[in-house]
Amino acid sequence: MYALIWRVLPGPFAVKLVEALLLVAAVLALLFLVVFPWAEPRLPFNDVTAG
Amino acid sequence: MSKGWFDADDNTVVMPAVTARPSPQTRPPGNHHPEPAEPTTLAEPSEPTWPSEPSVPSVPPEPPWPTGPSAPAMTPGDRVRTALGVTGEVLITMGVIVLLFVVYEVYVTDWLSAGKQRDATSTLDRQWSESDVAPIDPGNERTGKFRPTDGEGFAKLFVPAFGSDFVFTVLEGTADQVLEVGPGHYRDTAFPGEPGNFAVAGHRVGKGAPFNDLDLLRSCDALVVETSQSWFVYRVLPMRDEVGGWQTGRGTDQHCASVNPLGGPYTGVVGREIVLPSQNGVIAPVPDHPELSFDAVPPDQRAALITLTTCHPRFSAAKRLIMHGVFVKQYPKDPANPAARPPELTEG
Repeated sequence: MYALIWRVLPGPFAVKLVEALLLVAAVLALLFLVVFPWAEPRLPFNDVTAG
Repeated sequence: MSKGWFDADDNTVVMPAVTARPSPQTRPPGNHHPEPAEPTTLAEPSEPTWPSEPSVPSVPPEPPWPTGPSAPAMTPGDRVRTALGVTGEVLITMGVIVLLFVVYEVYVTDWLSAGKQRDATSTLDRQWSESDVAPIDPGNERTGKFRPTDGEGFAKLFVPAFGSDFVFTVLEGTADQVLEVGPGHYRDTAFPGEPGNFAVAGHRVGKGAPFNDLDLLRSCDALVVETSQSWFVYRVLPMRDEVGGWQTGRGTDQHCASVNPLGGPYTGVVGREIVLPSQNGVIAPVPDHPELSFDAVPPDQRAALITLTTCHPRFSAAKRLIMHGVFVKQYPKDPANPAARPPELTEG
């Protein structure tokens, strides 16, 4: 999977590296800004009220 | 000419197989590339020849391992290996995502909530300083007219046992959006200093984690609530195992002078209890007796309590950790000396 992504990325090594880091940053942003805030209230880790 | 061309590209990796540096005699004889469709324009690796035509560099030689689309057709074993590899990568990725979620929950929400708590605190400070200019009915916390709107900060909670800088602005309501700003006051429970139960919920993990160390509170530890007009000092009630020998044991501590095990309808209410999430009786005016109408309690027996609730055990929502305290002292704020602080704040 990751090998395929690396092959699909265009350009020489340095450009590929930058593209890969950008991809990682985009995925992290998606997780931290969209997925986790959405999932967090649906998971039973942090309910603090009684009743 | 060919030497100059080679030097220009010497630092690239496209031509490893035809460089003259690896002596062909050192190559194992069986290292011939298995690819049958090897371009015939390339010399045999065993022949130390230089490329003779300028067109050769445009055809990169195959490295001695299969790569990319020109790799030989996959055998069934290769397919199994690829499938296992991809499965492994997916599993590792999911594990990393779970770890990232923990980072989010424990650290990132802390940063987000810290900003919201700062905003709430500065809003409250501004309100209080304005109300100094235009004095409002003093003591109106007790009259029943004082009702903040949902999400509005109205008090500050100090816990000196957690450090002299431990202070959180308490907001009205216990919705998720409120609790990520700071501790939230259960609607329809008493307000600071009022007879009844001033009940506050707070996060234990992430979101500022105001009640992270709630289980470390000991009996008689001060819980100080500041409102626009007063400081209200509560103290944690005796723990279950301290009630029996209170007068000769823990009760002799200097901080416990005004703290005694509660009697009357409050018998059995102790400093700390761990309950199921459904047991909302802990925030009733008489804790653990939600069936008891507060009006039925004789006025001289009514107590002003504070109740803090958070999740238990940490990182779990299986149960709730409940701390009860009793109101012991009020310091009205002196407009002439607004910087005055109750001595309880420095108990540490």
